[in-house]
Amino acid sequence: MLLTLLLSFAVQGCYKEEFPGNPTVALVVKTLNNPFFNDMQDGAEEMARKLELNLIVQAAEREIDVEQQVQIVENLIQRRVDAILLAPSGSREVIPVISKANQAGIPVIILDTRVDEELLRRDQAEVAAFIGSDNYEGGVIAATYVGEVLNGSGKVAILEGIPGHETADSRQRGFLDGISKFEGVTVVTSQTANWERSLGYNVFENILQSYPDLDAVFAASDLMALGAVEAIASSGRQQGEIVVVGFDAHQEAVEAVRNGSMHATIAQNPREIGQAGVEAASKLLNGEEVSEEITIDIGLVTQE
Amino acid sequence: MKLLPENISFDQIRQFGTFIGLILLCALFTLLSPYFLTASNLMNVAQQSAIIAVISVGMTFVIITAGIDLSVGSVLAFSGVVMASVLHAGLPLPVGILTGLAVGFACGLINGLLVTYGNIPPFIATLGMMSIARGAALWYTDGRPISGFEDSFRFLAHGDIFYIPVPVLIMIVVYALAHFVLRRTKMGRYTYAIGGNEKAARLSGVNIKFYLNIIYGTAGLLSALGAVMLTARLNSAQPVAGMMYELDAIAATVIGGTSLFGGKGSVIGTLIGALIIGVLRNGLNLLGVSSFIQQIVIGAVIIGAILLDTKLKQIKNS
Repeated sequence: MLLTLLLSFAVQGCYKEEFPGNPTVALVVKTLNNPFFNDMQDGAEEMARKLELNLIVQAAEREIDVEQQVQIVENLIQRRVDAILLAPSGSREVIPVISKANQAGIPVIILDTRVDEELLRRDQAEVAAFIGSDNYEGGVIAATYVGEVLNGSGKVAILEGIPGHETADSRQRGFLDGISKFEGVTVVTSQTANWERSLGYNVFENILQSYPDLDAVFAASDLMALGAVEAIASSGRQQGEIVVVGFDAHQEAVEAVRNGSMHATIAQNPREIGQAGVEAASKLLNGEEVSEEITIDIGLVTQE
Repeated sequence: MKLLPENISFDQIRQFGTFIGLILLCALFTLLSPYFLTASNLMNVAQQSAIIAVISVGMTFVIITAGIDLSVGSVLAFSGVVMASVLHAGLPLPVGILTGLAVGFACGLINGLLVTYGNIPPFIATLGMMSIARGAALWYTDGRPISGFEDSFRFLAHGDIFYIPVPVLIMIVVYALAHFVLRRTKMGRYTYAIGGNEKAARLSGVNIKFYLNIIYGTAGLLSALGAVMLTARLNSAQPVAGMMYELDAIAATVIGGTSLFGGKGSVIGTLIGALIIGVLRNGLNLLGVSSFIQQIVIGAVIIGAILLDTKLKQIKNS
């Protein structure tokens, strides 16, 4: 009975080659329960269909589970895919498995989150390209916006991503560098909410208790920003009383910007990252040159 | 059912059943994917399963005593970051590893003391430790991973000895030792006795508190050994490492036929259980099955294994 169940599931969920005989590209993202990576998946699938490539999409159950991501990549190396697109769950932890892919002759293209260059060099591992947007730049854009809206003075809180994550660190550094240009603006507190919406709510609720006169919050991801929006609403404050700026331009956040509960979000285009990833993989497989660094534009989404 | 001869114990039948399950699973994946049954893939699965398998040994001992250890994943993270910081301070490799193992043993021992002298149920004591050790790991590192180690340390994850990957070798040694202790020593007999009938064990003069402390301490020690393996593998010790490993370890133990009510079980069964989970994840990846469906399948296997248990028991009793 168990076996039939297993078999039926396996057959149902089993990946079928859309274009038999054509190369297979694997896309391994951090998790598939985050709209950002769903959009990236959509973009990649679109481009794969257009270029007639087979695409396998896999991810760990939880965003922070690098070990499971590493295992997935190892298994895909065994599966002998022709190229791997990887959005690393850890900038350093994935390097040993990149080496393994190198040894198997499978090119690796990094998406969204950079790997640690120094460790990469030390391990003599190679990545074919990095495709993503400049998270540092996004942080600067967010800071400039916050500074201008506050007319150059006020108290600001930061909701950080997971510390030690390259994206989290870059966004935060960008924001801190950007905000330092406004002398009247002070960052009163900076705490992590682990990229999570529910933690964004809880942490921001506590921040509001300690800093009732807060003017703005920069959340390093929209999920945390949306959590903060809920916390503001439940504290009895007026919508828009505290400036909320998020990151990712996730659909719900764009709606929140439209209806005024958030002021702005930084748009990175995950769909475009996915498309560019598959396109680059296809070029590599055809023996064409691919530039080492492909930057996808970043922009500010406001009510206008 | 005349298929079952009288002189074979229930545990042996159960263990054999799990083994057949593993073989059938492998056969299934061999049929479905040309990439499954290759020497390099099987080594790959063994390496991927090694860490959970090692942690599951401690879990098996604890569960045989009718206890549970929810703290293994957090203890792994805490002992891993402490070890990493010692190594980064430039101290020699053995000092770093022994410090990590000592931290793991100490956390486990605290669990044991809470259970034996504090009279706190194992579920609660180790739930508390799960939170404390995780918090300690995050606080100690400020939430950041500690990365980059010497090649001699990374050999523990990436090296081979006589063509066998070191993590697989570590796993084999741990299981051989654990099997010996459980089947051939006083400590093993007492482990079963404590779980089977604690009162009877106490009345017959077994120093229950002493043995329970050793068992919980060993579970912590093995989590720390898992930390050594994981840190070497990722070249990084993460304070968020090992989350949910307790559930994988419990699943491996239970699939392997160890009873959550205590008194019954074997480490060989647990090894097969850990391999079943590893083979499932690997095979489903090779087939390109969606990650969401993978979770459903793994859940179904855990339930299926226990169903099999109850069915076999009914057959045996009839």
